Amino acid sequence: MHRGKGMKFVGDSRIKANNRMVNMPKDYSEYPGKTEAFWPDFLLKEWMVGAVFLIGYLLLTVAHPSPLEGPADPTNASYIPLPDWYFLFLYQLLKYTYASGPYNVIGAIIVPGIAIGALLLVPFLDKGPERRPSKRPLPTAFMLLALASMIYLTWESVVNHDWEAAKAQGEITDEHLGLVPEVELDKEAEGYLIYSGEQGKSCIACHGTEMEGGGAAPRLLGNELTAEEVAEVIKNGRGAMPSGQFAGTDEELQVLAEFIASLKPEE
Amino acid sequence: MLNKIYDWVDERLDITPIWRDIADHEVPEHVNPAHHFSAFVYCFGGLTFFVTVIQILSGMFLTMYYVPDVENAWKSVYYLQNEVAFGEIVRGMHHWGASLVIVMMFLHTLRVFFTGSYKKPRELNWIVGVLIFCVMLGLGFTGYLLPWDMKALFATKVGIEIAASVPFIGELIKILLAGDATIIGAQTLTRFFAIHVFFLPAALFALLAAHFIMIRRQGISGPL
Amino acid sequence: MSNNRVSRRQFLNYTLTGVGGFMAAGMLLPMVRFAIDPVLQTKAEGDFVQTSQKVADLTEEPVRVDFSYEQVDAWYKSEVTDTAWVYKQGDQVIALSPVCKHLGCTVNWAGDSAHPDQFFCACHGGRYEKTGKNIPGTPPTGPLDEYEVAEQDGLVMLGKKIANTLV
Repeated sequence: MHRGKGMKFVGDSRIKANNRMVNMPKDYSEYPGKTEAFWPDFLLKEWMVGAVFLIGYLLLTVAHPSPLEGPADPTNASYIPLPDWYFLFLYQLLKYTYASGPYNVIGAIIVPGIAIGALLLVPFLDKGPERRPSKRPLPTAFMLLALASMIYLTWESVVNHDWEAAKAQGEITDEHLGLVPEVELDKEAEGYLIYSGEQGKSCIACHGTEMEGGGAAPRLLGNELTAEEVAEVIKNGRGAMPSGQFAGTDEELQVLAEFIASLKPEE
Repeated sequence: MLNKIYDWVDERLDITPIWRDIADHEVPEHVNPAHHFSAFVYCFGGLTFFVTVIQILSGMFLTMYYVPDVENAWKSVYYLQNEVAFGEIVRGMHHWGASLVIVMMFLHTLRVFFTGSYKKPRELNWIVGVLIFCVMLGLGFTGYLLPWDMKALFATKVGIEIAASVPFIGELIKILLAGDATIIGAQTLTRFFAIHVFFLPAALFALLAAHFIMIRRQGISGPL
Repeated sequence: MSNNRVSRRQFLNYTLTGVGGFMAAGMLLPMVRFAIDPVLQTKAEGDFVQTSQKVADLTEEPVRVDFSYEQVDAWYKSEVTDTAWVYKQGDQVIALSPVCKHLGCTVNWAGDSAHPDQFFCACHGGRYEKTGKNIPGTPPTGPLDEYEVAEQDGLVMLGKKIANTLV
């Protein structure tokens, strides 16, 4: 603590009673160039940058509501996972032959481990006094190389991802919200016999005997399509569903489409 | 009036030196964008901190509605986003802020790297900075699971498989993270919640304090 | 007496470190044990689920067996339903998982009339032999998974999913 001749304290505390610091800004005329005080001179400029940044930020949140997919369903085995965008390069790296399968440890642990380790130890790997990037070619080159490969890998994973299927596979349905319409399934109907018969083998495999849908396939009960749209989907596929799966005749397809389109809740 | 209150407090606690030290510290010309426009690269660190503050605040408010439970997590997120006034904005701030913090931190790291500011005597601060980077990535990874939607679950499955591929101790790490040897479920969600909301932020606060104290003691690196 | 006598200050420092270590250990030990509990928990091994399929009814032709079981995830119990393709090979009962190794669609036995003795995935035309071996040139990258099988009271019991052992 402060001690010395002539020191006085406030009461029995250790707070100085005389020779206190004056509440006055420092004199900056002695400093080189246009040095200025942090408060309030520089902070005002920082906050002006911050205010512009905040406007952009808020506009982003309003323009793009944050995404939410359907609730997690661990039994869904067909979901193609995708990490947050800043892990995409790592995700892409793991797709390459020498970074996956038996070499998984290289892609998952060794490469990222070396990258983080090197980043952590940069001050001890690059010890010279030079600070300009052009005067220390090796560190600069390594960093640019790492940057380029991260950008390249991220780009590759984005162009190779099936965004349409990804959007469809996570959609929130009425079922998730507890709004499943009550639809009665007439298993004696001609349409159902086609669906469950030889012609519809590939229908029932994915959409299930109760038309309840499954892994990759949506629920058919309570769909919102017209008969024409259903026929169109059966012929040409949609999302994860491939085209040309139906093995029956055009008349049977028509009956099936009308049957599926009729699976709507009673008003 | 305010002055009187200030003097009253200062007489008893001598607070002037405490804040004057921060307020008066000199900001050199080469980092000031008002004098050299290119100095805006020196703003990235401050902006990272700004977004971090927004993340902490929006995260605190999100927990007023959010429940870390497999039955209700998704429903509570759906509710707070669609039913609560400004829920879309508060969740949006937290969601997009998570990305922005990574972007700003990445740019800040590149600035420090390319200006060679990590060199002696600032080695320790660089190391603390890289640790903050890792903590932030950890926050991003654990936070991604919390809405408990499809992409959250399956991305986490992949992430945990990656952790499990660590030689020798991979399986242990996996169980520690997931809370169960085979299931990514109720225990994984509560664990990730605890890590995201308590453990990593605690580490982040300690590291940020160290980061700022070191900057304050050493001053910002000189011009190139 | 040794020459390096412990000074009073050293003694106090050591004691302080010791007491501090005791307090830290006393606080952290229960917490750490609490946190790592899942690692040390031993699971009841060989949890088999009973299906309604009689072993005696099985032939060499794979049949679809649906079964469900209660999955216990700590305090959260849920009913999980699953499917297997079950057949007999000699005396051995074999159960294969129907999850396609391409993108996780569901495979069907003899789903493709051109290949009546193979598993077929309608999504992208993946095919597998009866053993679950994927046919080269079709999309899947590996053989179908297998279930551990047991028998009880003449009924098929299915266990964990394991990598295919027949290929």
